[in-house]
Amino acid sequence: MTGTSAARFHDEPIITCRKVNKWFGDFHVLKDISVDVFPQEVVVIIGPSGSGKSTFIRCINRLEEHQEGEIIVDGIELGHNVRDIAAIRREIGMVFQQFNLFPHLTVLENISLAQRWVRHRPHDEADQRAMQLLERVGIPEQAGKYPGQLSGGQQQRVAIARALAMDPKIMLFDEPTSALDPEMIKEVLDVMKTLALSGMTMLVVTHEMGFAREVADRVLFFDMGRIVEAGTPEHFFEDPQHERTKLFLSQIL
Amino acid sequence: MTDMPQPERVVTYVNTGEVVNRPAPLLTAGPLAWIRRNLFSSVFDTALTFLFAITVIGAIYGLVNWSIQQANWFVVTLNLRQFMLGRYEVDPEWRVHLAAMLVVFGTGIALAAFSRVRWRTFAALAIVAAVLVAVPVVIEAALPLPPLYVTAGNMPIASGSVTQEAQSRLAFTARAGEEFRIAVAAQASGDEALAVQSGFMDKATNNLRNAAESRLLAQARLAELDRLLASDLLTANQRVALTGERDRLTIPDPVVERYAVNQAAVTVRVLRGTTLEVLAEATLSADSGPLSVTLPDEGWYVLEKTIAGDAPATAILRVDGMYPLLQRSFSRADAGGGSAGRVNQYIRMTDNFLTEAPLPKIDGQDVPFAVIIDNQYRGVRPFADYLRVHLAPFLKLITPALWQALILLALGVVAGRLADRFFSPADRPRRTSVRVATWLIIVLPIVAFFLAYGVGNVLPVTDTRNWGGLLLTMMLTVVGIIGSFPLGVLLALGRRSDLPVVRYLSILYIETVRGVPLVTVLFMAQLLVPFLNPALADIDAVFRAMVGITLFSAAYLAENVRGGLQAIPPGQVEAARALGLAGWQITLFITLPQALRAVIPALVGQCISLFKDTSLVTIVGLIDLTGISNAVVAQTEFIGLRREAYVFITVLYFVFSYAMSYVSRRLEMSGSGAVRRA
Ligand SMILES: Nc1ncnc2c1ncn2[C@@H]1O[C@H](COP(=O)(O)OP(=O)(O)O)[C@@H](O)[C@H]1O
Ligand SMILES: [Mg+2]
Repeated sequence: MTGTSAARFHDEPIITCRKVNKWFGDFHVLKDISVDVFPQEVVVIIGPSGSGKSTFIRCINRLEEHQEGEIIVDGIELGHNVRDIAAIRREIGMVFQQFNLFPHLTVLENISLAQRWVRHRPHDEADQRAMQLLERVGIPEQAGKYPGQLSGGQQQRVAIARALAMDPKIMLFDEPTSALDPEMIKEVLDVMKTLALSGMTMLVVTHEMGFAREVADRVLFFDMGRIVEAGTPEHFFEDPQHERTKLFLSQIL
Repeated sequence: MTDMPQPERVVTYVNTGEVVNRPAPLLTAGPLAWIRRNLFSSVFDTALTFLFAITVIGAIYGLVNWSIQQANWFVVTLNLRQFMLGRYEVDPEWRVHLAAMLVVFGTGIALAAFSRVRWRTFAALAIVAAVLVAVPVVIEAALPLPPLYVTAGNMPIASGSVTQEAQSRLAFTARAGEEFRIAVAAQASGDEALAVQSGFMDKATNNLRNAAESRLLAQARLAELDRLLASDLLTANQRVALTGERDRLTIPDPVVERYAVNQAAVTVRVLRGTTLEVLAEATLSADSGPLSVTLPDEGWYVLEKTIAGDAPATAILRVDGMYPLLQRSFSRADAGGGSAGRVNQYIRMTDNFLTEAPLPKIDGQDVPFAVIIDNQYRGVRPFADYLRVHLAPFLKLITPALWQALILLALGVVAGRLADRFFSPADRPRRTSVRVATWLIIVLPIVAFFLAYGVGNVLPVTDTRNWGGLLLTMMLTVVGIIGSFPLGVLLALGRRSDLPVVRYLSILYIETVRGVPLVTVLFMAQLLVPFLNPALADIDAVFRAMVGITLFSAAYLAENVRGGLQAIPPGQVEAARALGLAGWQITLFITLPQALRAVIPALVGQCISLFKDTSLVTIVGLIDLTGISNAVVAQTEFIGLRREAYVFITVLYFVFSYAMSYVSRRLEMSGSGAVRRA
């Protein structure tokens, strides 16, 4: 655990969600989601498939649009203002289940492209920063390769480096290890743990209960578009309150 | 229980020995296995294999046979320039050559940049090219040119309804030091020999030959009828019909006797074309030796051949050193830009020897010469004559260009390699050549176009009405591709745009154009556009066709690119958006490059089909490769040689299409395309 110092909750929240509702057509996918995330906090989101976890975190960087309620990230409310959206996306990094690396660019170019065009860094500086991050995720020797030549675990670490290169304040992870072979899961989780230790604010959708127990400050349990349970990992795993949570835990543990 | 399975009966082969990989059995790998698996895997398959083999072998046999024994390839060798350039002016011709050389050189650089060039391939190509150079040399050394048979005589020679007089004088051209030989032909000993005579021959000789042939045919038919009537299997009606035919059948006198072929002596004289000085003179008969003259200068000579005595007679003469001529006449500009008047060129068909000296005159009259149309090769051509008369001259014509191309291609590869050695960083050893090649792919076609067309005062602008042949085909293709590429990409993006106006306009354009045949678009461009707006009437027909082709192919290109865009997983755009990239940046850096790479094969396919589709401009009066072959076979000298011309352009179309698809396959294999995703 990164140390759930209660002091942290005296800070201003960096993400604030109030009564967020979203529909896909007639399908009510998010129902009155209200949650605050504080700086440096690691929030793990757990829940059955189709419960709206992905949709929720994708609303935070506006890959999905919510229809009711408000989401405030780093003091900016998400609306239709294109500038605001761009500003928020600059502060949020995201890692996907399917990595979504750009297959036509080398690993180095994958990491430096957005730095140059969004952060307006000079070419050299972007490449330097990219190499630094590749070192941090442990694969500097792969810089010149194309994503297709890398293993899944290596690709996901490149994806993390790519997101970190933008120097985000918040990182979103949507099931980052679900598409990986078991022997590669650990290398990705290790990178995420180091990141959490370094004080990054993280929202992680995952089924890795070990990771949740060890790293999370808070666990949110989603079911049918609602947060039905929230609490510290100890509380969540040892003493779940809601029937749905108990059932879910009994199925996966 | 008592009858538990005995542990000994469970057989497990635990192999802890050395790891040995044995080769697969012969019948599952190697060529034999391939044949068995792919050609004879089932009864149906075997039947198909045989059917296919018989069809293909039959077709190839027919084509090769025709090409060796019958085809008159002079239509190609003598018109090669038209096939390549149409009526493109002579003065700026070097610019087209330069453009072609640049393109080949650039292709070399591209190969160095994008593919693994194997020098083995180059060595093989060089050997092939060397053989192509050596073959005509060997052929010319080993095989004599076939003679020209001409007839001397003082009586008209009839064959069917055509009657022909022998010419008493014939002009011919020669180079200095060439040997000229004339003798009475041995073939005229009898009708049998005369009928199967083959070689170049004048009309009178041809009439003799045809008369002999038809007499022999009539004789054969008579023998056949007699045989049939002798049998008693005929019905009454058949017997009546056959008897009637036999009664009507008249067998002419033997030709050799009728025309007293080779029975009288012939007086022959060889005169110098300019001064009419007699160089040699002889009276030849069937058993005298040949008259032989070494011709002193380059230029015209005259052969005189008359029957000695007044009795009606003819003689077939075998002449070596005199060959049919093609006459070309055109007006030429003088140095000042004015007209220098009409120029006549006389081209010897066997070796393209060309003279512009005026025809010799006797008594103020031009002496007739052996025109190619009247002195064609008759009979079944033996393989040796095919090699000597058609193959060798053709190879001599094309091998210099082949060598140039090969050397430039190799130089391009070397240049690319050298550039990489000196300028590319170690971790990306091909960066320089890739950059250069990418630029060249964009710039070279434009440079080539302006070299051929001209730029302002620097390179005088050429008249596009004279563009033709392969040049025009290439220009239409290149301009069509270059023009339709940006338009097509924009239309593809437009069709996927979020703005309804843009989207619907794109859809309207794409679907309209795709619903109309190219011919219609070309007609619209040629006819309707100037009609709608008179200001556009001044634009050259070639440019109007280019506009039509560009607009047409843009719609198809747009659909290809749209396919590529659709194939990109949505995660790509999401990841890019999550990184904060703006819409246009995502299109430019993420989606479009991937879409274009994914559709490279389709784009090349489109280039190839556009290359072939340009043949439709023939219909609106342009003389591209297809148009020029129609124009070439419309000349009197080459009438009836459509097949030869079409076979030639078919080969040209194929060679270029295949080269395009080969290069694109190499580029794809290099991994610069979508394969890297794997
Ligand atoms: N673009 C979409 N259009 C319509 N329905 C969607 C879309 N995306 C997700 N859904 C539906 O919304 C629900 C929640 O999806 P999601 O957030 O991906 O769930 P989770 O990530 O918890 O598995 C699912 O039932 C899914 O089918
Ligand atoms: Mg999900």
